[in-house]
Amino acid sequence: MFDMVESVKRAKGKGTKVIGCFPLYPPLELIHSFGLLPVVLWDMKEGVGILKESDRHLQSFTCSVARRLMEFVISEEGSLLDGLMMYNACDTLRNMPEIINRGLKEKGRTLPLLKLHVPMVSPNQTNATGYLADRIREMIAEIESTFGVRFSLERFLASVRLYNKIRKLCQEMEDLVAAGKMSYMDFSRRIRNGYFIVPEDQLSELENALKEAQSGSTKNIPDGKKIIVSGILPPPDALCAVIEQSGMKVAGNDVSSQARSYGYIPKETDDPAAYYADFYRNHYPCTTILYSSDDRLKALNALIEKRGARGLIIVGEKFCEYEYLEMPFIIKMLEQKNITTLQLEIATDDDDNVEALRTRIEAFSELIR
Amino acid sequence: MADEKDDTRELMKTASGKRLTQILTEDYLNVHRKASEGAFVVWVAIVVPVELFKGFDNVVFAVPESHAALSAAKGVGMLQCEKAEHSGYSMDICSYARIDIGTMMSGGKDSPTFGLPRPHLLVSDNNNCSLLVKWFDIYHREWDVPHFILDVPFCYEMQKETDLRYIVTQFKDLIKTIETLSGQKFNIDQAKEALKNSSEAAKQYKRFIDCAVHRPSGITAFDSFVQMAPLLTSRGRPEVAEHFRLLADETEERIKNSQFPVPNEKYRLLWDSIAPWHQLRKMSTRLAGLDANIIAASYTSCLGGIEGSYEFIQEYREGDPLESLARIQNFSVCPYGMDLRFKAMSWAASHYGIDGFVFASNRSCKVYSVMQMDLQKWITEDLGIPSIMIDVDHADVRKYNEESAFLRIEALLESIDAGRARAKI
Ligand code: SF4
Ligand code: SF4
Repeated sequence: MFDMVESVKRAKGKGTKVIGCFPLYPPLELIHSFGLLPVVLWDMKEGVGILKESDRHLQSFTCSVARRLMEFVISEEGSLLDGLMMYNACDTLRNMPEIINRGLKEKGRTLPLLKLHVPMVSPNQTNATGYLADRIREMIAEIESTFGVRFSLERFLASVRLYNKIRKLCQEMEDLVAAGKMSYMDFSRRIRNGYFIVPEDQLSELENALKEAQSGSTKNIPDGKKIIVSGILPPPDALCAVIEQSGMKVAGNDVSSQARSYGYIPKETDDPAAYYADFYRNHYPCTTILYSSDDRLKALNALIEKRGARGLIIVGEKFCEYEYLEMPFIIKMLEQKNITTLQLEIATDDDDNVEALRTRIEAFSELIR
Repeated sequence: MADEKDDTRELMKTASGKRLTQILTEDYLNVHRKASEGAFVVWVAIVVPVELFKGFDNVVFAVPESHAALSAAKGVGMLQCEKAEHSGYSMDICSYARIDIGTMMSGGKDSPTFGLPRPHLLVSDNNNCSLLVKWFDIYHREWDVPHFILDVPFCYEMQKETDLRYIVTQFKDLIKTIETLSGQKFNIDQAKEALKNSSEAAKQYKRFIDCAVHRPSGITAFDSFVQMAPLLTSRGRPEVAEHFRLLADETEERIKNSQFPVPNEKYRLLWDSIAPWHQLRKMSTRLAGLDANIIAASYTSCLGGIEGSYEFIQEYREGDPLESLARIQNFSVCPYGMDLRFKAMSWAASHYGIDGFVFASNRSCKVYSVMQMDLQKWITEDLGIPSIMIDVDHADVRKYNEESAFLRIEALLESIDAGRARAKI
């Protein structure tokens, strides 16, 4: 069984400095190019069992992503981190840097926290390329002075190539899920683990998983009515099981930690400003990248068509207003195209309450023609 | 269970209340009339610099957040929220958004202002909150109306020059967008004039809220909540500056005549949240019965100040209005990080002589609330002033329990008494 904390410890044991990043799409390649290990602090149920510290800092109406992030950083395991890096996203997260600082201070700890402002304007409205380029240059200077490292064009290009390879393999693995050669649960687990291992190792693990699935050595997944899942985090394993037991098969995803992360492969260049301008401007549509969400419906329609899916389950992260506010319109438009939809509101790392949803999921499955 | 009635009635009976009603009514009627006559209609977030629209001859604006607040204060908040919920919008979404979505989905039915005229352009601003961008996106998609997103880097510290330039660029693009869509030309002198009026209005409003310095306070924070409406919906008009000048004069006069909202004021409290619109009358009356007055609020007291400063520091006289407007993007408390909010509230505590803090944890508003647990600890420890946290949703009465809120408020008053008794020993 994979242990995210142990995995980070191993990397640290080799002398690598670990940078905890949030939220979803930080400049991983840039951080990695300095010889640092970026770890995206999400989907951390495995490493963060109980929430005790975070309850002293965050109200109960804060989403589980923020609560687990807080718990991890200020708990004992958080000592594995050498720094934090964040960019602007939702209203909850914008308050987090100072809450984290207070939490650390109580524990007699401090951590350097680097902040990046990613422009949220539509490129059709305002050209923010120059502004972003300045922010990236500032970020490079800040990383250099904070961690005593030097930027290198060659190493940046190598990191870009590495992460792009990983994205490509993730896309191939998604195809195998659609073809029934790998279960979605297995796929989700592998993607999740990847966030907590050094990317070079992640690459070889993905290569091995692909070989294994392609060779047919893993058992074929029983056929079911094809559906797509959407949300910030993938459905919890228990929910995936209920989906399968109800006669459905997850054939594709529109999940932030999955397809929304690897869905677009930016052009390879050694210029970080140009790379991130492309990375953010052409990012796979996500509720959290404000200007991109106009394209979500188009992307969902294309995915549904590509996978031959007849249904969509939106797994709304409890208290994530970004997701909530987009659901009704998307549901309305898809239902006009006879795609059956189901909207759930759960803390997606919460396995315990999944049984309560079984009847709704079974009823949903019956509705799919 | 708390009930919902028109909570502004009492507050509107005074001369200034009547003048305020007149300004707001005029403004809502005006926006409807001009829209029907072909004006270009913009819907904005409250921190969008509406003074820019005054640079056009026939552009009018409406503020859905203010409309939602008014609806909540007039007792129809819950009704509109339920309409949105029936259409699939989660009960966990900000109640302003649900009220507005409910209103628009029913074509303005049950709205105190007959809804708002359909916009030609939506302008959101993530300095308020990012939720608002998503909320406006709904109309953008449902009605196929363009949506301009103002992206303002979050204010953890003093605004940086690069951020100011970035904001100015966006203002210029906004002007160009309106010119293209409306076919009208922008006149910078008109915008300057509007900015002067707004600046004067903020200065006079500041004079009004400073009437809380007097002991007993000349006002309650509830007055400041109701009176702030034209700063949001009617900015740029000379009448608004004049209204606040008269309001401050009248309030100072009342103080001279020993007329106070809580004459036996024993407890001076500060409110940290958005106004509880559905509780204005009830809460202030019940507090007065306990000789307590919420005399100030972080929400209103910092208007006009920038980045944690409660003093009025942004006064526009001449110069580039776009720069000035960009500089005051951080003029209200919503866009503050915790350090700046601590600074602002500490200043307020000493300026107003605060005895206790009421942190109103509002599950609707993450920007305001997610930080309050630490802020409360910090303020209580550093300033030695007692505080409580109560649960209040600013516009959805279903998420408020009066009895449990007052149980805590009474405990706060007791702890203030205990502190005073200890100080005497
Ligand atoms: S799940 Fe939603 S609310 Fe939570 S951190 Fe992510 S974007 Fe923010
Ligand atoms: S109340 Fe809070 S969440 Fe709602 S619109 Fe205002 S700032 Fe945004």
